Amino acid sequence: MNCQEFESVLPDYLESGHTSEQQAHLSSCSSCAGLVADLNFISATARQLQDAEEPSPAVWNALEIQLRREGLIRDIPIREVVPACSSSLLDFFRRRRTAWLVPVAAALVIAAGVKLYRPFGAGDTNPVARAVAPAPETPANSGEDERVLSTVAARFPAQQANYRKNMEDANSYIRDAEQSIKNDPNDVYSQELLINAYEQKQMIYDLAVDRTGEQ
Amino acid sequence: MHTRQCAARIVVVLALVGVAFGAGTVRKDLRFKVGKRPTISVDNQYGPITVKAGAAHQVIVTAILHSDKVELDQSKSGNRIGLVSHLLPGADATSGVVEYEIQVPADANVTVQSETGPIHVEKLRGDVTIEGTNAPISVLDGADGHVHVKTLNGAVSLTNIRNGHVEIVSMGGDVTMSSVSGPFVKVNSNSGKIQYDGDFGAEGNYDFSSHTGNIEAVAPAYASIDVLARSSNGPVQSDFSLEPKHTPFVAAVGSAFHGTLGKAASSVSLFSFSGRIHLKKRQN
Repeated sequence: MNCQEFESVLPDYLESGHTSEQQAHLSSCSSCAGLVADLNFISATARQLQDAEEPSPAVWNALEIQLRREGLIRDIPIREVVPACSSSLLDFFRRRRTAWLVPVAAALVIAAGVKLYRPFGAGDTNPVARAVAPAPETPANSGEDERVLSTVAARFPAQQANYRKNMEDANSYIRDAEQSIKNDPNDVYSQELLINAYEQKQMIYDLAVDRTGEQ
Repeated sequence: MHTRQCAARIVVVLALVGVAFGAGTVRKDLRFKVGKRPTISVDNQYGPITVKAGAAHQVIVTAILHSDKVELDQSKSGNRIGLVSHLLPGADATSGVVEYEIQVPADANVTVQSETGPIHVEKLRGDVTIEGTNAPISVLDGADGHVHVKTLNGAVSLTNIRNGHVEIVSMGGDVTMSSVSGPFVKVNSNSGKIQYDGDFGAEGNYDFSSHTGNIEAVAPAYASIDVLARSSNGPVQSDFSLEPKHTPFVAAVGSAFHGTLGKAASSVSLFSFSGRIHLKKRQN
């Protein structure tokens, strides 16, 4: 049995087991063995993802729209797209209309990551282009912030401006760190900055509450 | 003759001024017997607090109250001592001032709060926790304990802290560290500058980060560190010829470096969003 013959019987292989001839080919052909392993992995991973954390329909719709816009998917019946696919896989995909998007999205994310990832070393000399979206305009403090500031103002009017400025500084830090994470969601160091920014804000709350609560 | 009269007048005026200022002040001396590792907390909204290591098993407090608009509340429960400056109606940043001079056993755990300070802690081996809204804060000659500092705008100075577990959060106050080492030293600043001058010893973790504040670290040529520095929107510079290592993030040249010096015994992280970062080599 050669690869072409094996691929022609692949649906049967996946659905109802294998013959000794198919198994012999699989043992000797790394390409077909890899194909089978990939299909099993995709199927298993899609099930796990679906069961573990189902994103909202809006996420799937947005992803689907984007993929259609980019011409990566078209309105063709699933059976025509994957005629050789096993009925079990087809059933799975039919039952969960958008489940196939999971491995596709994962593949796109991985591909984008591979394309964009550029380790930076101390000896590197060429700057790496990086798109940095501008930070949004400074919004007002949150309602909770204002309540804390009001408490400070009531008890210690002289400190109100001081606390307000520091609250705004902490919020500015949070926004900058969040923007960095939006630009690069995998950047653990920006995530660390965000944690530090929130720690600063918590300190301001603590100091404000301590001072106003003890008198 | 004219000179003598003039001098006499000055003396009289100074004496009157002294009486006027001294009239409102009250001095209180307190003494407590304590066991090992006592806990002392001081809450003083207005005025300086100095805590120094003294004799074992006793806490000696000298408090000078600047008016009758403030009282000193004291409490002792087991090995815990609490001192609170209690502001009465009408008290303000002048009349509410209390000056504290406190001697504690060297192994005491101390918690200090003040809005204006300054706060000074010296020669303690226990845990030190300091909160000061605007108070300048200095910790000198500490060892083996935790040093936790929270401040909005007060400058923080740590000098000669060994084997410490140091955590500082500051918004606008500059943080200066000289000869500070420990298994853990972390400074989290917003706009305040972070300055470190030491050897990054004790195989510790040193983590300095800021939003907009500059970070400057001075280390000797013999330092043994694995240093990772990055500023998202600021310049980053090293005077050392580090053995380069790769970083798992995308960065433009001049905004990050990662490398080792010596045996890389200590880990050093210098992160800022937009502040300037400079790792300097100490010139001897």
